[in-house]
Amino acid sequence: MTSVIEVENLTKRYGDVIAVDDVGFKIEKDVIYGLLGRNGAGKTTVMSILTAQNFATSGDVRVFGEAPYENARVLPRMCFVRESQKYPDDAKAPHAFRTAKLFFPNWDQELCDRLVADFQLPMNRRIKKLSRGQLSAVGVIIGLASRAEITFFDEPYLGLDAVARQVFYDRLIEDYAAYPRTIILSSHLIDEVSNLIERVLVIDQGRIIMDETTDEVRDRAATIVGDAGAVEAFVAGREVIHRESLGRVVSVTVLGALTDDERRRLAASGLDVVPVSLQQLIVRMTQRAADSRVPNEGALR
Amino acid sequence: MTAFTPTASATPRGRIVNVVRMQFVNRMTFVWIPLIILAAVFVFSMVIWLMIPYGGPKYSGGAQALIWYLLAVGIQSLTLTFPFSQAMSVTRREFFFGTYLTAALTAALLAVVTTVGGLIESATGGWGLNGWMFYTDWTWASGPLGSALSVFALAMLTFTAGFWCATIYKRFGGIGLTLVLVGVGALLLVALWIIGRFNAWVAVFGWLASLGVVPLSLVVLAIVVVLAATEFWMLRRLTP
Repeated sequence: MTSVIEVENLTKRYGDVIAVDDVGFKIEKDVIYGLLGRNGAGKTTVMSILTAQNFATSGDVRVFGEAPYENARVLPRMCFVRESQKYPDDAKAPHAFRTAKLFFPNWDQELCDRLVADFQLPMNRRIKKLSRGQLSAVGVIIGLASRAEITFFDEPYLGLDAVARQVFYDRLIEDYAAYPRTIILSSHLIDEVSNLIERVLVIDQGRIIMDETTDEVRDRAATIVGDAGAVEAFVAGREVIHRESLGRVVSVTVLGALTDDERRRLAASGLDVVPVSLQQLIVRMTQRAADSRVPNEGALR
Repeated sequence: MTAFTPTASATPRGRIVNVVRMQFVNRMTFVWIPLIILAAVFVFSMVIWLMIPYGGPKYSGGAQALIWYLLAVGIQSLTLTFPFSQAMSVTRREFFFGTYLTAALTAALLAVVTTVGGLIESATGGWGLNGWMFYTDWTWASGPLGSALSVFALAMLTFTAGFWCATIYKRFGGIGLTLVLVGVGALLLVALWIIGRFNAWVAVFGWLASLGVVPLSLVVLAIVVVLAATEFWMLRRLTP
């Protein structure tokens, strides 16, 4: 696997507040990443430093092997549209798209036109008059149609309804299959994107607390469903991270991978093993990581 | 699976020109609105000249309306177009030079329009009404080119003032901008005090008048260059 982004000892401070705390990771080529974490965890800060929109306090960032700051060879190969992106005052959506076409070498106008129809985006209204969802759609369209080699989507779904979000997920997967590229999707609708993302990067209070494939993360825990007595007997002594019950039937999520032997025992006692919810797992891991630290909330950008 | 066919990446110069095209994508801001303002002010001046029974030369300072508009353009170029340019993966350097090139093109357009206006004005004796908006003896002392240069320099100075204040505001916040403007005010006050202290007002005005329109425009452009250099320095570390 070749990596397109390499980060070492990255730290970002705002005065006394540490937004990103000595972070290191690699982003592999042509993989869809989920950058997950709570509000203020440092997701936007990391993405804006990777795209040279913001500055690191210390540490090293390499994109395609080079420092991205003021680098006209590297920057056009990346696209980062922020959740709170600003547009020129009197610009309409077509103005933004025409501009994107000038700067992104792989821009696909046909895809752009199709997405405009999919999202039913009004082309004749000024961007500042658009609704929150339509504003998000402008960013999503630029991100997809630019077909940049590395594309960052920072909570791209704000204000988008369920149908529009599904359109986004479908088009993303479709276009990614035809034109593989690296995609970094920050989101806190974890279960909604869990089928999309191949690798998970969880950031919490400025630190990376998880950097694994989605399958590895799922293997960290298992959900056992069946008769309450049998389930409780099986999970005794294990760390339970989630529990739901309906009458005599309970569903319990426990940490730790199951061995083949355990799976046979479960089958023998008539219990089912179902895939674990990525969201529950990550919420649990995040709470755990936070336990030992001083709370440090606030929107850090 | 289709492979990427990377289109020939735009050259550095090509990307600066693309920034100009980005600024002009909506031609309203940099072309039509200044021309509409100019046309409206001209028509209003005509009407006012017609209403004044006085037969001698009547002057209109209306052309300065444009100057105030350019101040707003300078501010918005930074506060709104800079964050957008960052989303377009434009470097700060490309944004800076592309935006200044755009401002220079707009300033040149205004210079041409006002100079043509001045030529017509002097040829028709003030539009047949003895009304003067573009032509003054002092700005035309060095001919049409001198007048064009003065308009160009003034337009660039106004744009730069807006862009400069917006850059300071974005980089150092409201308190930073306030302190800088208070500092500029204090410097001017010191200058006034020194001139007054040495009873030199007559000498100063005499010097300014004797300087002529071309050297004075060049002084203005030199100030623009100095301010632009500080803008570039601040922009290099600016976040959207």
